[in-house]
Amino acid sequence: MTFALQTELFFHRKLLETLRQPVWLVTGLTTPLLYLALFAPLLRSLAGGPAFPPGQVLDVFVPGILVLIAFGAGMGAGWPVIWELDSGVIERLRVTPASRFALLLGTVLRDVLMFAVPGVVVIAIATVFGFHAHWGGLAVLLVLLALLAAACSATSSALGLNLKQIGSLAAVVTGVQLPLTLLSGILLPLSLGPEWLRVLAHLNPMYYTVQASRALAAGSVLTGTVGLGFLVTGAAAALALWWGTRSYQRAMALSPARVR
Amino acid sequence: MTETAAAAVQVTGLRKTFQVKGAPVAALTGIDLAVAPGEIFGLLGPNGAGKTTTLRILTTLLPADAGEALVAGADVRREPALVRRRIGYVGQLGGADVNATGRENLLLAGRLYGLSAADASRRCAELLKVFGLGDGGAGVLADRAVRTYSGGQRRRLEVALGIMHRPGVLFLDEPTTGLDPQNRANLWDEIRQLRDGGTTVFLTTHYLDEADQLSDRVAIVDHGRVIALGTPDELKRRYSADTISVTPDPGAPEAAPVLARELAGVPYVDRADVEDGAIRLTVTDTTRAMAAVFGVLAARGIPTRAASVARPSLDDVFLRETGRSLRDKGEDTATQETAEVAA
Repeated sequence: MTFALQTELFFHRKLLETLRQPVWLVTGLTTPLLYLALFAPLLRSLAGGPAFPPGQVLDVFVPGILVLIAFGAGMGAGWPVIWELDSGVIERLRVTPASRFALLLGTVLRDVLMFAVPGVVVIAIATVFGFHAHWGGLAVLLVLLALLAAACSATSSALGLNLKQIGSLAAVVTGVQLPLTLLSGILLPLSLGPEWLRVLAHLNPMYYTVQASRALAAGSVLTGTVGLGFLVTGAAAALALWWGTRSYQRAMALSPARVR
Repeated sequence: MTETAAAAVQVTGLRKTFQVKGAPVAALTGIDLAVAPGEIFGLLGPNGAGKTTTLRILTTLLPADAGEALVAGADVRREPALVRRRIGYVGQLGGADVNATGRENLLLAGRLYGLSAADASRRCAELLKVFGLGDGGAGVLADRAVRTYSGGQRRRLEVALGIMHRPGVLFLDEPTTGLDPQNRANLWDEIRQLRDGGTTVFLTTHYLDEADQLSDRVAIVDHGRVIALGTPDELKRRYSADTISVTPDPGAPEAAPVLARELAGVPYVDRADVEDGAIRLTVTDTTRAMAAVFGVLAARGIPTRAASVARPSLDDVFLRETGRSLRDKGEDTATQETAEVAA
């Protein structure tokens, strides 16, 4: 009960923080829409080729975009964490009786919401432009990607709490982002690539999320691909939540010197 | 002021070592102290002496390597949750959420300590009034983002955040650093009022006057251990006495060193030293020694150019114990600060 209340309080705090920065709300929506408007047309000429059933480019592309939204919504969590570390907010909250898991979960739930809202908007708009929505599969897909957003959010928070510096966090996140997204076939299916690339992709946990996403968007729910996707993504989320909570238990500002 | 089980804070043999680039750096080498309920206790020392590390251990932020610490009747190591419920903490960094309003900050803090929404909002209104953050024409201040606050307003909010749940023991880490004299005096008054209301206040400071005038009792720390502990008056009397400085006129018939030897024999004068042409007399009774000294000078017909009396300060205590002055900081604090960084 207390835990639920604390989580709600922290979620509310983080949600207010986001709503007060409308720039991020706007870009959170426009970025995926720009991908749909400016990138998807490039794929039209590939339609009918390998990996793209004729006339169904969006059916392959939209699930990838949804994964990208979930990834982006989660990975931004670490930056504000560093500001809160530097301004003593986290230290102060750590001296209250509040649960550290609740502290982490408040941010994670906010980020899941920040994925879900643009996600639904993208699905709606894509449907207008010819995306064949299988509603049952899409519902399960949103759950899967909520797990991914949670995993990314908790990881980003943990990275921020441990690295403590904006520069280091930026270096790690951008350094990891590229191989993770390239080797998961988010934008283009990996079946277009050579065999060594496809083999390498199997080492990337997000590859399984993307594979499951495409299967779910196509309406097949009870398949091994989807099961494996949930298994890998769920395990990643559990691990990240554990790491994030542990990081909050020990979080300490970089220097005791006064910032102001 | 006795070290009984009823102490608000009881610390024995607290030790902490940080690893800095693989090498151990001792931050605390054995802190012992006891704080009585309802007093303002000051931890005075130079930067890097271990003040913040001590506070972080007592507030459950950092685990100690060894030693015992009881805070508000709970063991810091074994019952951290209980300690957190009973204490308030205002860190050096402040800790107000600058994107939220003052009121939102206070309400969240209250709810986290288990106050109901109604109780939290009542307590919030009360504190906004006490700390002058919400009244009258400035009523909007509490509903503005904290980033728009002045330094003094922000610090007052941060102290209010620390006492939202009426803790029995309040920890303040360098509470007045960065404040102008006016805000500093106001905060001192507010801290005294908290003490008068029954709150035990444990603060760290590197300001001599803050330790001397604000604290009921002081522990002076250096290199991670307590080197002196008592009321400011006790400490000053124990370690140092009043001094009388007399500067003879350059044309005086007797040279300063000769005169100093003579004055050393005057009643109530303990010793006499010569510094830059001035004779510095350490005395046991200031008024009587003054009369005697000037009697001698008058009898010899020695004109004086300047004369003054100096009372001892806590810096004299620090100087006697360490051979260094608290005023010239900087020396060998670098390694300790790196240690805290590594933590």
